[in-house]
Amino acid sequence: MNKKNQVAITLGLMCFILTALIVVQVNTINNANSAIGQARNENDLRDEVLKWKEKYDVTYSNLEKAEKNLENLRQNASNNDETTKQMEEELKTANKLLGLTELTGDGIVITLEDGTDLIHQEDLIYVVNELKNAGAEAISINGQRLVSTSFISCDGNVILINGNKIGTPFVVQAIGYPSTLYGALMRNGGYLEKLQDIGIKVETKKVENIVIQKYNGIIDSKYMKVVE
Amino acid sequence: MEKNNKIMAITIGIICFILVLTIFVQFKTVEETDISGIERMQETELKEALSQWKQKYEEANEKLEDTNEKIKEYSNQEQDKTKTSNLLQEELKNANMILGKTDVEGEGIEIIVSDGYKVEVNGNRAEQNVVAKDLVNLVNELKKAGAEAISINDQRVVNMTDIVDIGNNYILVNSQNVSNPYTIKAIGEKTYLQSALGIKNGYVDQMAASGKNVTVEAKRNIKILKYEAKTDKNKMQFKYIKEK
Repeated sequence: MNKKNQVAITLGLMCFILTALIVVQVNTINNANSAIGQARNENDLRDEVLKWKEKYDVTYSNLEKAEKNLENLRQNASNNDETTKQMEEELKTANKLLGLTELTGDGIVITLEDGTDLIHQEDLIYVVNELKNAGAEAISINGQRLVSTSFISCDGNVILINGNKIGTPFVVQAIGYPSTLYGALMRNGGYLEKLQDIGIKVETKKVENIVIQKYNGIIDSKYMKVVE
Repeated sequence: MEKNNKIMAITIGIICFILVLTIFVQFKTVEETDISGIERMQETELKEALSQWKQKYEEANEKLEDTNEKIKEYSNQEQDKTKTSNLLQEELKNANMILGKTDVEGEGIEIIVSDGYKVEVNGNRAEQNVVAKDLVNLVNELKKAGAEAISINDQRVVNMTDIVDIGNNYILVNSQNVSNPYTIKAIGEKTYLQSALGIKNGYVDQMAASGKNVTVEAKRNIKILKYEAKTDKNKMQFKYIKEK
């Protein structure tokens, strides 16, 4: 009798353990299923991202055409009069200063690459500040033109300029007087020297006819008004 | 009795077999559907990318509508000198405003950054002066938060503004002296600007941790003075751009 009881208890326990295991597994699978739902959701999201990117691309190319058109219209409208002609020229210069046109000129190109240490957003911010101090007239990093509203930020270990992701190596182009720019940036105690000392690969070259792309974003002014 | 026992043993054996089988099947299913946390991250990343492209699209669309509006105006002016002149005037005004060549006003924030000190382990006070980098970082943070116009002690920050240390007591902004305390004005959405600086481990926290003082105040109307170049280097002009 005793023996029978023991067998029954053992069997009962075994069944219980097995059932418990099955329950755990079913639960796990349910969770995993929600993960599958997420994957489906991700594909939808991916499609959605592509759709909006395409919308942007189309609108942006229309915008470029419209801007060309506007420029021609302006020129035609102001051609016959000295005052308006002058204003039109002034507007063109202003747009150049704003970073809305592609520019060519001599200057320097600095290439920064992650080495034994990584490049952080501050590093780019300080290098840009030194270039401005040395009299740079136009600057871009990995093709992103720096305009008055530009900022350099980071998201995890990704660096963003004007909200666009860029990665190492960072190619900083600057138009200005090449020797002045070069001398200022490569001076003893300069920021580039510090970067080199902590193990970042730095290469600086004087380059002729650098082409700096125009800013392809929008400079907003919703909150400020001219004081009359 | 023996027969009964046998039947029972076989039944139990079959049940156990079925249960074990079920578990194996389940294991396989779980293995196949395993989705790691990395892909979860991708979802947030995708959401970010989505909102970014939407925003870029909206901005471009807005600009396109604006440009088309101007095209219409220029097309309708029928070679009228006054009308053309007015249109150009308006465009110039806007461009010069963004360049920083005019006084501007609007809602925004006023930040005061000043020298402070840290109490060391031995009880001594260690002076912590505001340095150029503190201001360079602040300007970057403000632009990131959407500031449209910025000034430091009334020196307008324009695209090519540089901020550098001169000795321990002065900072040069646009090649002009500014000194402690530093009042930074920024025009933009005031609540957003304020919260962007005030987030945990954000600019205000970082400065406070280094022993420097920062106050941020949202204001309904802030006036920011126009850019004035005192040296030749700081003139807003191109000298090294080649015309094509």
